[in-house]
Amino acid sequence: MSSKTWSKWLLILLPIVAGAYLLWPTYNYYRMNQERESLIGDSAALESWDLANGEDFAKARNARLKLGLDLRGGMYVTLEVDILKLIEESADPLSVDEDFTSILEKTRTQTDNTDLDVLDTYLANFRASGKSLLQYFPLSSSDEAKGGDPEKAIEEKLRNDAAGAVDQAMEVIRQRINKYDLSEVNIQKQGARRIVIELPDVKDEKEIRSLIQTTARLEFKRVMMNRDLIRTFYTIDNVLKGVVAAEPVVDTTATDSTAVAKDSAAIAKADTAKKDTAAAATAATDTSKKNANPYAGLSDDEVARRVKRDYPFTYMLTGLFAQSEKSSFQNFDLILKKAEDFPEQGIYNFVVSGTMLQQFLKYLERPDVKRAMPADLDIVVAARPEGTPAKDGTPEFYNVYGVVREADLTGDVVTEAFPSFDQSSNQPMVLMEMTGEGAERWAQITGANIGKRIAIILDGRVYSAPTVQNKITGGSSQITGATSPEEANLLAVVLKAGALKAPVKIIEERVVGPSLGEDSIRRGVMSSLLSFALIVLFMLAYYAWGGGLADIALMMNVLLVIAGLAGFGGTLTLPGIAGIILSTAMAVDANILIFERMREELYAGKTLKAAIDQGFEKAWSAIIDSNLTNILATVPLLIWGSGPVRGFAVTLLVGAVITLFTAVVVTRAMFTLIAASGATTFNIGQKRTA
Amino acid sequence: MDLIKKTNIDFVSNRVAIFRASVIIALIGLAATFLPGMIDLGIDFTGGTQITVKFAKQSASADQVRAAVGEIGFGGAEIKSFGTTGEYLIRINETGRASEISADIVAGLQKSFSNDTVTLLGADNVDPKVSSELAFDSALSLFLATIIILLYVAFRFQFAYGLSAIVALAHDVVLAFVVSVLFNKTGLLNLELSINSLAAYLTILGYSINDKVVVFDRIRENREKHKGMSLVDLVNLSLNETLSRTLITGVSVLAALLVMVFLGGDVLEGFAFTMFIGIVIGTFSSIYIASAFLIWYSDRVQHKNVGELHTKKA
Repeated sequence: MSSKTWSKWLLILLPIVAGAYLLWPTYNYYRMNQERESLIGDSAALESWDLANGEDFAKARNARLKLGLDLRGGMYVTLEVDILKLIEESADPLSVDEDFTSILEKTRTQTDNTDLDVLDTYLANFRASGKSLLQYFPLSSSDEAKGGDPEKAIEEKLRNDAAGAVDQAMEVIRQRINKYDLSEVNIQKQGARRIVIELPDVKDEKEIRSLIQTTARLEFKRVMMNRDLIRTFYTIDNVLKGVVAAEPVVDTTATDSTAVAKDSAAIAKADTAKKDTAAAATAATDTSKKNANPYAGLSDDEVARRVKRDYPFTYMLTGLFAQSEKSSFQNFDLILKKAEDFPEQGIYNFVVSGTMLQQFLKYLERPDVKRAMPADLDIVVAARPEGTPAKDGTPEFYNVYGVVREADLTGDVVTEAFPSFDQSSNQPMVLMEMTGEGAERWAQITGANIGKRIAIILDGRVYSAPTVQNKITGGSSQITGATSPEEANLLAVVLKAGALKAPVKIIEERVVGPSLGEDSIRRGVMSSLLSFALIVLFMLAYYAWGGGLADIALMMNVLLVIAGLAGFGGTLTLPGIAGIILSTAMAVDANILIFERMREELYAGKTLKAAIDQGFEKAWSAIIDSNLTNILATVPLLIWGSGPVRGFAVTLLVGAVITLFTAVVVTRAMFTLIAASGATTFNIGQKRTA
Repeated sequence: MDLIKKTNIDFVSNRVAIFRASVIIALIGLAATFLPGMIDLGIDFTGGTQITVKFAKQSASADQVRAAVGEIGFGGAEIKSFGTTGEYLIRINETGRASEISADIVAGLQKSFSNDTVTLLGADNVDPKVSSELAFDSALSLFLATIIILLYVAFRFQFAYGLSAIVALAHDVVLAFVVSVLFNKTGLLNLELSINSLAAYLTILGYSINDKVVVFDRIRENREKHKGMSLVDLVNLSLNETLSRTLITGVSVLAALLVMVFLGGDVLEGFAFTMFIGIVIGTFSSIYIASAFLIWYSDRVQHKNVGELHTKKA
């Protein structure tokens, strides 16, 4: 084979391989999902499946072709931060007068149905009224100290607040929704003050809704990491041991008994399980005293199984211990020990792996676990994993904290928080200001807890737990320890949630029921395949062998459009299907144009090779002009079109580019190969007598 | 197979009459659609709350559903049903809490029709602010896309060609719109104007411009090949030469769309129907509207000699 024919084969085969490669995760995902779904109901099998395939499954899921909510069902919400309400709330309530409200109202009518920037419009209106911002908005003490133009400082603060409000609402919503373990939630900022949330597979829309609209709760709580916390871990183990261990037993025994028998059997089993575990627990403590290992002589798998059975909560934790601030942390084992085995003095740290986080949080939510917890202690988990996310797939770790149950201080005392840099070390940090009343209590708390840690908790998740260095009077605090400016920024956003309840309202909400989603996928896929088959058969019938070649190119076309969409992380929506239909129609048309031209040339008595060359050459200008017109027309749709229109434009753009490639390059390569093989005739459905 | 032989049909002699008739039909139709109550705007463009429910046993009539919804506390709700029996679209002129409303309505209907099973197919809640933005953005992007088409065709061919394409495209979209609005009144398919149906109109635009460019391309080629031939002859020759391609492409795409109209399900059927109508109209306009306008424009506005058709038989 000459190098020229080689390159032609490459042109035909390479895109197919690339397309298959990009679509492989999609196929893999649906195959694995089916496998996984068949296991639902058998929790033990599901768990072992997740352990074995979880990582591959997550990988496939991320790289697969995603379907839009209109095709798969789910919930779509657009939120808007009400900047005017924010301004109203930032103003000193005592100074609010008629002028103030009338400027607000005027801005509201001006901006209600336009794209105008609300804050800019408001400030312009304010200036036009000749009033001073200083009359209504309090100037923070740090700005006062800085000097400069107070009007500018207030303007700057309002601007920061407006920008921060969107970030804050996003952070709060992200954290809350993550708590619900919804796979593939998409939260995006849209423009300057909107947030779009897409939630597939929602069971209870009402719950999500209240979740989104409740205001955030910011709290400061003292960190309590000591032997009592470890004792609490073991207490939780004891609560869970009976229940959690009994669950799989119920599943395996009660297959062929009646419902009543099933229940009583379960109770009986649960009871024996409790007795067993109680016995095992005492046995464990007994043996640990003698320093004997009850797991000795067992296989690794069996040990893991038993540890999980005996310590359903603690097995998820890894302990770290340091003698003092100066010494380094050492890992320690929590299994087969009791709280008294651990030193009273020292610094404890606990982490939970990201893969077990959801289970861990679920256990903490259980009413029986809550009841068993000491009255003054609460267990909370960090909002973000420790350090930077690892790229090699090693699991991330979340810090686990023991904190006092009653908040020492709630977030409404925070007046201002912003990221900054430490002058001496150039490390990122956050500056926080408090109200006078808050500052007094803050001074008491910090004064009594020097050297101890205080957790900053938003909605039950810890964002930072800085160590108190000294008594903070005056309400101005510096929080160091952030490892990056982004981290400091996030902490400032969180702290502001105390000062400022970002007022959000739902301006668009769409729910597609799962039954509609399922039905629309099934019928959509079926009818699309049928339509496509019809075209393939038609081309074969009308253009004979030529049609067969065109069909290969067409299939490649659809394969590459879908693969391209999957590869770029795009989402297939209903309007997107319209785009694929149009681009496929244009690909069919391109082939028809070429074949009609070839026939004309053949009828004119040209040789096969000449007819192929002429056919492609003459059809080329029409194909490129029509596809380019469409490609260019997608540009404004991509820039200014709203979501669905953009979905159409993306698939059309990808489709038209690929049509140019498949119809002209691939089909041509196939014909050239045929001509090069020495053929003098080729049936493209032309009349034989010509 | 070769169904369409070399033709020599006279497409141009009656151009003025056909063009006028077509434009008059489009204008009358357009005027008719703007009579009150004719255009059914979906909530994407009106704002409000819309809930779609399904009665598994189809036991409820539209009037019964209306009464039941009124009892739940949403008097004056608009109830519609399309094609599939047992499915109802409930529209309420209120925004801000779609999930609550939909949950209340599904629960209420289930209570009223306790021997049937009521499921929620979907709920949409669009703030009037969003809907006016959607309408504006859609109109803007559509307008700009049209301008780009005009510029590109003018650049690759001539200005007259670009203008002819736009006139034909406007004709296609208007007529497809008129047919959809009228057909929606039959209640067989849901053809309300929504942001999704906008994609169908964009598809019509895309297909139609493709069709026009193919004909223009042939005219451009023939102009070089047959120097001195009059424009009328060039147009007619090119239309005949591309006729086979025009029909074959059109028929195969239409057949594919027809499958979707009948089997595509709730989501695709309305969509495919609008495209089907649009492609029929677009194919017609490539032959009669775009070329007729091109000849008229060259003759009357540019004062070129377009000539008469040489009625020689093949």
